[in-house]
Amino acid sequence: MNAAQGITSAQLTGRHKADETSPIRIAVKDLNFYYGSFHGLKSVNLNFHDRQVTALIGPSGCGKSTLLRTFNRIYSLYPEQRAEGEILLDGQNVLDASVDLNELRSRIGMVFQKPTPFPMSIYDNVAFGLRLYEKLPKADLDMRVEESLRKAALWDEVKDKLKQSGMGLSGGQQQRLCIARTVAQRPEVILFDEPTSALDPISTGRIEELIEQLRTEFTIVIVTHNMQQAARISQFTAFMYLGELVEFGPTTRIFMNPEKRQTQDYITGRFG
Amino acid sequence: MAALTDQIALTRDRASARKKPGGLGDSLFRAASYGAALLVLFVLAGILASIAYGAWPAFNEFGFGFITSSAWNIGQEQYGALVAIVGTLASAVIALLIGVPLSLGIAVYLTQLCPGWARKPVSMTIELLASVPSIIYGMWGLFVFAPLFARFVQVPVSNLVEGMPIVGTLFYARVPSGVGILTAGIILAIMIVPFVASITRDMLDQIPTVLRESAYGIGCTTWEVVRHVLVPQASVSIIGAIMLGLGRALGETMAVTFVIGNANRLSGSVFDPGSTIASRIANEFNEADGLQLNSLMALGCILFVITFFVLIIARILTRRAKVA
Amino acid sequence: MDAANPLATTAPPARISRVRSGRRIADKTLILASTLATLIGIVVLGSILFMLVVEGIKGFAPSLFTEPTPGPGSEGGGIANAILGSLVLTFLGILVATPVGVMAGTFLAEYGRNSKLADLIRFLNDILLSAPSILIGLFVYTLMVRPMGSYSGWAGAVALAIIATPVIVRTTEDMLRLVPSTLREAGAALGAPPSIVIKSITWRGASAGIVTGIILALARIAGETAPLLFTALNNNSWFRADLMGGIPNLPVMIYQFALSPYPNWQQLAWAGALLITVTILALSIVARFVIKTERSR
Repeated sequence: MNAAQGITSAQLTGRHKADETSPIRIAVKDLNFYYGSFHGLKSVNLNFHDRQVTALIGPSGCGKSTLLRTFNRIYSLYPEQRAEGEILLDGQNVLDASVDLNELRSRIGMVFQKPTPFPMSIYDNVAFGLRLYEKLPKADLDMRVEESLRKAALWDEVKDKLKQSGMGLSGGQQQRLCIARTVAQRPEVILFDEPTSALDPISTGRIEELIEQLRTEFTIVIVTHNMQQAARISQFTAFMYLGELVEFGPTTRIFMNPEKRQTQDYITGRFG
Repeated sequence: MAALTDQIALTRDRASARKKPGGLGDSLFRAASYGAALLVLFVLAGILASIAYGAWPAFNEFGFGFITSSAWNIGQEQYGALVAIVGTLASAVIALLIGVPLSLGIAVYLTQLCPGWARKPVSMTIELLASVPSIIYGMWGLFVFAPLFARFVQVPVSNLVEGMPIVGTLFYARVPSGVGILTAGIILAIMIVPFVASITRDMLDQIPTVLRESAYGIGCTTWEVVRHVLVPQASVSIIGAIMLGLGRALGETMAVTFVIGNANRLSGSVFDPGSTIASRIANEFNEADGLQLNSLMALGCILFVITFFVLIIARILTRRAKVA
Repeated sequence: MDAANPLATTAPPARISRVRSGRRIADKTLILASTLATLIGIVVLGSILFMLVVEGIKGFAPSLFTEPTPGPGSEGGGIANAILGSLVLTFLGILVATPVGVMAGTFLAEYGRNSKLADLIRFLNDILLSAPSILIGLFVYTLMVRPMGSYSGWAGAVALAIIATPVIVRTTEDMLRLVPSTLREAGAALGAPPSIVIKSITWRGASAGIVTGIILALARIAGETAPLLFTALNNNSWFRADLMGGIPNLPVMIYQFALSPYPNWQQLAWAGALLITVTILALSIVARFVIKTERSR
């Protein structure tokens, strides 16, 4: 009884096979994180491979979202939060004080738990990030918006109402709009923070398919509390518990043959 | 592998050609927002400083006696604040005595008794009372309320209490014109009602329904629920709301100027005309000069200090309630 | 206390009401008193409006809007100069107060948040919000009228701006705080610097609320009289284009004319009072409507 409930070996093979030879895109070295005096992450060491989906799993409060939020330093919006250690993105330490945060964030996209459409039109939502960093003629901008919406599998649903408010879309559509907005900037890495936890099963399915397609272009890190989801869409899985990285490896091995007792307990549903 | 390197190279290329958002514009925006916030601080400091500056000669001339003297003689250049201070405090206290029960009643009606469909229109009507300009209250007080008040209250009450001890002084109108300290207090009461009532209503609304329902569930009457459950729960913030109302009543100018009678006289009767700090400033400031102007500034200074403390208390009480 | 605990009485006779008469009277009194209090509030508002309509409507003639206020003892006249003067003063006041108020509210909600400085400014803003408006008149008199040696529309506008600003600061901050922080994070995650996140995301998200605040501030200053007494004053003719000297305006005109001995002045005061009250009540209702449509979106 090594496999988690309902996760078959078929789900874990084939196209989901981890490519361990893929170059390392993000290297986390001895990372510690503090919320005020609370020690949220304890000496985490972890590598993320290029154009692979890495899932971060673990019970609530284990630090998986915290880890995700260090990569683009979004935590620095809150003065009481700080990180120590190294996170190397293509060899450059993103925690370095000299890093231009806005530039960094344009290279690392992020999709949040709840859809976050901006209070503006669908078109403007997608063009928002583009306009920040690139001065494009109208025709090019139109093209990039269309391309991004297509990549997010949303184009056919919204092509006739690009001028309407993004807030008027359904939850699943809003989330895909947010993905389109992120993709539009052509980032190198996309972070997903429980992107489907607020969505219905059908929308969830579409987002999962989308992530699978995006993998061909982007390095993806996804936080999920849903083990089946991690098994379905990721090549690598990291299991975290109480702020520590317990185990990391190809998803197939983590689910079929975990080395640590805690990992096995978690994926078989004994706690968490 | 080659494709990957290409892509990374492409990204790098693009990065170098990128425009950079923020920078100077971002700092400027932040500075503007910071500056605007500081302006609020400077304006308040400026108000205090300018009034204190204007008041200084009067305080210097009369010393502490300025507060205890009831003189206001322009010819002899003798000025004292007592009558105006007493008038201000008396009218504000009357406003609270009448306005607070009215406001609490309205808040209880809106939260406990009002049928659902009527809640919004009734709430809005009460809140609109806050939008009526104070000068309109003054006109209503002088032309509608005062004649009715003189005829149906001042005259009969004066006749009734004449000669009695204490009440015979307190409620005797030498000239039943309808204007006076009590009239000013009543108009002020109506003016503070919308503020106190709507804060109290919001406070009562915030009390968990469970608490209310469990009290009704053990057989409490509406009165008992209000008296023993709701009011204790919201009491601190209700007092805060009352202090806020008091702050308004102390500084109200135009409505009071219309109905207080503007007399510099200390009287034992609430039916008699008097003045408040604000009404005296409104009446005399434009024609004032020299020491009279300084004395009016000194009155303003006293008003500032009184309302400042009242508002601080209000603020502390309403804030603590929010945190709790 | 016994009355609140009917079980304390031993073996009540069957079928007798467990609600003692004392409790019932207290309850009935409360219901009656609070209903009465509400009625008083409604009747006062009704009575004020009735008074304004009955007295004011008689003064509504075309000349009201075309002729300036008459001098003492002269017949007829209108309030056209006071209407225009009020519009100019109010407009200038809001024009100054809006950027200052919105930026200061933005500081409190976005930059300062829970810092000591933000707490202090929030506190002082609340004081300013409730400070007696006549003191603001005294301040602007000392600051502008004295040094310039003349009453002026500028002084009046500054006084009104000082009254309007705290209203806008408060509503702007409250409304910005309602914008979910995930929107700010999403903006920052796209690499947008704080100023752009604020300008194109949070302001937009809170726009209806901020507009409501501005309308409420407008309603508040449109009827303010006390701070204008020593700043803009009033006058009985058209005003100078440079806004120096006394500027005719509705509130001070109403104050002076209502207490005057001339019947035509009194009539103009009533007409002006009706006009200004209806305008302000309409603004307040519009403000409510704006925020309601936003909430339902």
